[in-house]
Amino acid sequence: MKLTINKVRLVAAWTWDAGDDACGICRNAFDGCCPDCNIPGDACPLVWGNCKHPFHLHCISKWIGAQSSEQQKCPMCRQDWKFEARK
Amino acid sequence: MDRTRTRARAAPPRKMRIRAYERKPAAPPQLFSNAWERFLRPAVDAVHQSQPVPHSLELLYGHVHDIVLHRNAPALYDALRRACDRHIAARIAQLAALSPSSEHVFLAAVHAVWHTYCTHMLRIRQIFLYLDRTYIVHAAQPDARSFWDMGLLLFRTHFSSVATVQQNTVHCLLTLIDRDRDGQTVDVALMKNLLLMFTAIGTYDAAFEKPFLASTDTYYRNESRTLVASQDVPTFLKHAESRIHAESHRAVRVLDPSTRNPLISTVEKRLVSDHVVTLLDNGFSSMCDQHRKHDLKRCFAVLSRASDHMPADSRAPNELMKSRLIDYVKNVGRAIVMDKSKDPEMVQSLLTLKARLDDLVNFSFDGTEAFNMAVNFAFESFVNARENKPAELIAKFVDSILRTGNKGFSEEQLETTLDNALTLFRFIDGKDVFEAFYNKDLAKRLLYDKSASLDLEKSMISKLKHECGPQFTAKLEAMFRDVDASKDLMQSFKTHKLSKTSLSHGIDLNVYVLESARWPLSTQPSKVKLPQSLMDCQEVFKKFYLTKHSGRKLAWQYVNGSCRVKANFPEGTKFLELSLYQTIVMLLFNDADELSYSEIADATGIEELPLKRTMLSLACGKARVLLKRPKGPQVDAKDSFVFNKKFTHRQTKLKINAIQIKETVEENAATTERVFQERNYQIDAAVVRIMKTRRTLQHAGLLAEVFDQLRFHHKPADVKKRIESLIEREYLERDENNPQAYHYLA
Ligand SMILES: [Zn+2]
Ligand SMILES: [Zn+2]
Ligand SMILES: [Zn+2]
Repeated sequence: MKLTINKVRLVAAWTWDAGDDACGICRNAFDGCCPDCNIPGDACPLVWGNCKHPFHLHCISKWIGAQSSEQQKCPMCRQDWKFEARK
Repeated sequence: MDRTRTRARAAPPRKMRIRAYERKPAAPPQLFSNAWERFLRPAVDAVHQSQPVPHSLELLYGHVHDIVLHRNAPALYDALRRACDRHIAARIAQLAALSPSSEHVFLAAVHAVWHTYCTHMLRIRQIFLYLDRTYIVHAAQPDARSFWDMGLLLFRTHFSSVATVQQNTVHCLLTLIDRDRDGQTVDVALMKNLLLMFTAIGTYDAAFEKPFLASTDTYYRNESRTLVASQDVPTFLKHAESRIHAESHRAVRVLDPSTRNPLISTVEKRLVSDHVVTLLDNGFSSMCDQHRKHDLKRCFAVLSRASDHMPADSRAPNELMKSRLIDYVKNVGRAIVMDKSKDPEMVQSLLTLKARLDDLVNFSFDGTEAFNMAVNFAFESFVNARENKPAELIAKFVDSILRTGNKGFSEEQLETTLDNALTLFRFIDGKDVFEAFYNKDLAKRLLYDKSASLDLEKSMISKLKHECGPQFTAKLEAMFRDVDASKDLMQSFKTHKLSKTSLSHGIDLNVYVLESARWPLSTQPSKVKLPQSLMDCQEVFKKFYLTKHSGRKLAWQYVNGSCRVKANFPEGTKFLELSLYQTIVMLLFNDADELSYSEIADATGIEELPLKRTMLSLACGKARVLLKRPKGPQVDAKDSFVFNKKFTHRQTKLKINAIQIKETVEENAATTERVFQERNYQIDAAVVRIMKTRRTLQHAGLLAEVFDQLRFHHKPADVKKRIESLIEREYLERDENNPQAYHYLA
């Protein structure tokens, strides 16, 4: 072998795996953040419902916070809202 | 002696004494004329001829005493006054006959008359002391003056009424003063004495000061007219300053103190105030240009003094200087900023200029805050005369300080340079351009370990935070956090069972996982094909990562990757620091000795521009691990490449990956593009925010509100385009009847 790799530094950019869509509540793109935040990423995370609809955590928290506990529904599909449990 | 002292001490009881005299009998008719003609008049005549008095003083006192006691004081006073009057009239008449053609001779004669006259009057007063003390002090004699005052009045009457004498005296004095101004020697003591005479007889103001100020006015009006035209400005200012000083000195040495202020203002008026604009026109910017600190300091001092005498419709000299300074700085600055060929030195030139101007303001303009502000104002104006580029270059300048390789500078010196660069940054309108380039350069420093010092990095961030607020630096700080978090992540990966794959390839794997919005990275999937070993490493890491962070996906940034490669050249083994692209290319030569450009392009999937750049670095740089066929300084699609079996180098470890650090044209364009996209986003956000509260707005009204909210320079046409885009995306709609009105769509 003329050449062998000893060491490598790879660079990867992470984004939310939520398609090219925008948040159904604030309408900001998922690679952006909710209107209350300035920097996207860890600081303004996404969450998914059991219905598989993603939202900004800040947006859905505000949304369900405004509803009484029996009426906490997903704003997209009107199913009862439950945070999807992810590993 | 005793008597005198008692009287002198007991001033108020005098009146009682005088009343007592009134009871005395009237004088014998012959007493007065006898005493005056026989004793007193000869005595007065003798004094006037500067001869000894023919009788004893005691005898003379007695006669004066008798006359006063016998109530003949008014007659005696009158006779004495007439005698003096006749005498001085004759002396002044002699002066009138004297030619004033030789000023010193004439003035000396006047002074001699005055001086002798004073001496005589003192002697006469001594003889008539009793009269002076009693009769004259008596309030009942309204036109009776003390003997001394009477003498002055007589002198003044003749000196001033014989028109030519006083006129000639003043004329001679003014001639001498002008001669003194011309640099000739004059008798200063003589002038001083004569001016004291004018003061004593009470004609100083009207007879001397007025014509003196008028002649001063004429003298300096003429002088300045000639000199302003013939001398350069610094020389003239020096001259003006020394003139003001000399006249001030004259005021102290020769003139009455009251003349000082009107004299100095006359000089300042004619020498400076009249010429402020011409002086500034002719000399200000060239003095700035030649950094003539001392001349400018003088200019500031001299012109500031002139401010009290400026014509009513003119601006104050300080204001004029300030606006000249602004013009000067704008011109010099614009020349630096607008000349594209000088871009590489722009920031250094601006820093030098700023330091020079700070020095000028401090030294020459007394550190006056208004001048500091003028300099800043000018900087702000010219730096923004060219859009975007200065901001970009300041960011790059900062990068060059923060990057490794500034050997020979202490951290303190680097800090100072950063502070200076920040001063320039402060003037920039397009802070977002700076931010974008700073962000790009910081990314490179972090990704390629090119940061000189973490302390310096942090210090710069805190300076920026202080300047622009935490929002401005949040993204930059997060980049440091991403790097730290990636290092932690690699620690846990290396203890994880999945890491065995990379170990089985013998590769030390490191991954930086970066939040895409914070870094100037692409989220487009790359078409570049990795060698299998690296592919395996990448896949296991991805698996590992997604177990830790669900709901995410990774976009690999091959253009930013880097490797250390062990290369076995026949002449010796080398360890090469390569970019990932270089590595991918080089690894192809494990299975071939020669490859054509197109074979390499197919096998790697690297796009044309970066591939050509990569090939150039491997085959045409200083260390040529490949050989290009045919030879040449450029890479062509028809070229082919051969593994350089004869490669030697004095070092075992070498870096060939410097190309990653250099900014490419595409990177530059992408960075600028990112700024424009961000600006569009800002415009969109502003429009939506405004429309959400206003619901309906006219186009002009919306534009005005957007203008208030945006911090960067933008054209109305840009905003209009964004409004169109928002209408397309159904955030807004146009009014059906009025195309100039918009409604917000909830
Ligand atoms: Zn949202
Ligand atoms: Zn948020
Ligand atoms: Zn749902």
